[in-house]
Amino acid sequence: MHSLEAARTASSTEAQQVFHPPLETKSQLLTVCLTGAPNAGKTALMNALTGGSFRTANYPGVTVTLSRGKSKAEFGSQVLLVDLPGVHSTSAVSPEEELSCRVIEGRHNSVKPDALVVAVDATQLERHLRFASFVARQHKPMVIALTMMDLLPRAQQSVSVSKLEAAIGVPVVPVDGRTGWGAADLMSALHIALANPVTRQSALVSVPEEPVSAYQSIRDLLAASGALKNSNQFLLARDSFTARIDRVVLDRYFGFPIFFAILVGLFSSIFWIARPFMDLINWLFSQTGHLLLALLPPGALSRFLAEGVVGGVGAVAVFFPQIVILFFLMTLLEDSGYLARGAALVDRPLSYLGLHGRSFVPMLSGFACAIPAVLAARTIPSKRERLLTIWILPLMSCSARLPVYALLLGALLPGAAWKAGMTLGVIYVSSLLVGALVAGLISRLILRRRTASLLAMEMPVYRKPLLKPTLRMTWSRASAYLKRAGTPIIVISSCLWLLSNFGLGSHQPAPADGTRAPLVASSDLDHSFAAQLGQTFEPALHPMGVDWRVGVGLISAFAAREVFVSTMAIVFHVSEAADTQQQRSLLENMRTATFLGSSKRIFTTSSILGLIVFFFFSLQCLSTVAVVRSETNSWRLAGLQLLFYTGLGYLLSSALVVSLRFLGVD
Amino acid sequence: MSLLDALHNKWYRVEDVAGPDDERRRLLDLGVTPGEELVVVQSVPLGDPLVVMVRGMRLALRRREASWISVR
Repeated sequence: MHSLEAARTASSTEAQQVFHPPLETKSQLLTVCLTGAPNAGKTALMNALTGGSFRTANYPGVTVTLSRGKSKAEFGSQVLLVDLPGVHSTSAVSPEEELSCRVIEGRHNSVKPDALVVAVDATQLERHLRFASFVARQHKPMVIALTMMDLLPRAQQSVSVSKLEAAIGVPVVPVDGRTGWGAADLMSALHIALANPVTRQSALVSVPEEPVSAYQSIRDLLAASGALKNSNQFLLARDSFTARIDRVVLDRYFGFPIFFAILVGLFSSIFWIARPFMDLINWLFSQTGHLLLALLPPGALSRFLAEGVVGGVGAVAVFFPQIVILFFLMTLLEDSGYLARGAALVDRPLSYLGLHGRSFVPMLSGFACAIPAVLAARTIPSKRERLLTIWILPLMSCSARLPVYALLLGALLPGAAWKAGMTLGVIYVSSLLVGALVAGLISRLILRRRTASLLAMEMPVYRKPLLKPTLRMTWSRASAYLKRAGTPIIVISSCLWLLSNFGLGSHQPAPADGTRAPLVASSDLDHSFAAQLGQTFEPALHPMGVDWRVGVGLISAFAAREVFVSTMAIVFHVSEAADTQQQRSLLENMRTATFLGSSKRIFTTSSILGLIVFFFFSLQCLSTVAVVRSETNSWRLAGLQLLFYTGLGYLLSSALVVSLRFLGVD
Repeated sequence: MSLLDALHNKWYRVEDVAGPDDERRRLLDLGVTPGEELVVVQSVPLGDPLVVMVRGMRLALRRREASWISVR
């Protein structure tokens, strides 16, 4: 190691004498691609090198889009880093592998690597070096980042970095992306490689492409180098930490109970842990609203800020703790390595439905948000299984539905948190079962032609997730979610407040002093723009048993489902504000809300159940439609999906309400 | 014999890898090559897939995929 570093320093000085450091003289940054087999620790490395947060997980194939970032300034001249999806096989099977190979071979239109960093798992040198040989054949500057060094003792192996480097003729730098150890060394090795494009021929270049002889030649290379010591696969298979955990979590009797217990624990802890934080946020927003009303001069502006902006945003912000906890637990599960076991467990039932074991991770992500889930479906090798997975993803009960269900269940089952929790559990499980049913029906009735399908999935070793990277990842996911959902929520709640508080002047009661009414005047809800718009489509809502105010909420929810909650806060707060001075909580307002001009309540058992069914099926998320279009490259599938699920939601919801009322359930 | 008939926790040597071209190539790429040693570590609760250890990696293989691998 010491001589190695000395050599590196020497060549670095030499480089500075001979060349100008190329990175600083160019205005455009050089592009460095991070590559490697799936699960080699690329994304953690990306985190360490850029100091930014990217998706990283202990599940094969989590990097599904090309994430980019600048290297940290403290590592010297900055380069543009691009994290490529993991590649198992260079005879590319899945679209993401093909994408990576295209970039590495320089066939990609926009990403042209100037140098490549290959992440190589120290415990699986043969397989990972074979991929490195594919990269070496491109004759670009390259550096090998040797990851998973901390797992070597567990695998009862040791790797000599200097011997390995000498044998393959490519700079090798041990790193741990999760802690950032070795990142600075890696960057300086990279700078040297970039400054000296003409290096000696790597031994990896002569490794043949054909797999059988390639593996043999790498094995010979490693044996000759003496870099690898004491590899005891026999012991590893039976008595390792991972083998012991696998014997329990994949046990014939306990496997599925543990699997379901983990999922139930995941979703129930979301509600238990989040409660105090939700109360706090609720209190903060209502105090802010009071404060604004007290501080600002009374009038339309102060009410707009207090009710429209603060009230609307607060109604959704209250669910942020739940979303953060969901993302945190999902990240933990991914990083631990359990998700791959889950995928193996459910491969058989899923392939019976025409899906794939790998559909499990997109489906589970779908419970957080359909957008990353649709992207994660790229890891599914066969097109038929991939499209079918994408087709059922909008059914998975995403976190945007959570605020809606929480509100509706609060109205349906007042004062019984555990009953609401149980019902929510039923909704989550049903969304999975209905998704399975839809997939099964489609694969049996429509997509009858089966195509080739391969599982052959790596099961990574278990690793204890580190707290800091997990928290960083949680925050990056949650804040991305907040950014995506936040803007439409603020814009729509502001617009709705204005629409429901102003109306055409001619529709308002005539002023007492006989002056002509202005064109647009402050209005009560019944005579507002929202009322006029809403009443035009009210007949369509009759079967669902709700009035136009709920209809406005349903329409606005197409921007994002959770907007429904803030819309309810605005339309019902506004309409009830007249008869009460104190701010009442949204739930109480909803409970007492009646159809205009009658004493009939809007939110009854049947109409709330109808709304839940509507939200269960309906694809009320234009972002999902957009991402499905870009992933499948066709408007047809995306449009069909939108019409199918929204139509289904409307029909089933109406059918439920009508039949419940027929049976005497109001 | 086929990998399907292999005993658990007993090491075998791969003799041949068959199967459709793409799938066969994939298995070879993953390091399941003739001459290599592998062991079936366990099967998951429904009996499918099998967990195989090869070249230091745990690999979940469907029974269909395992049937293409003949071992000795």
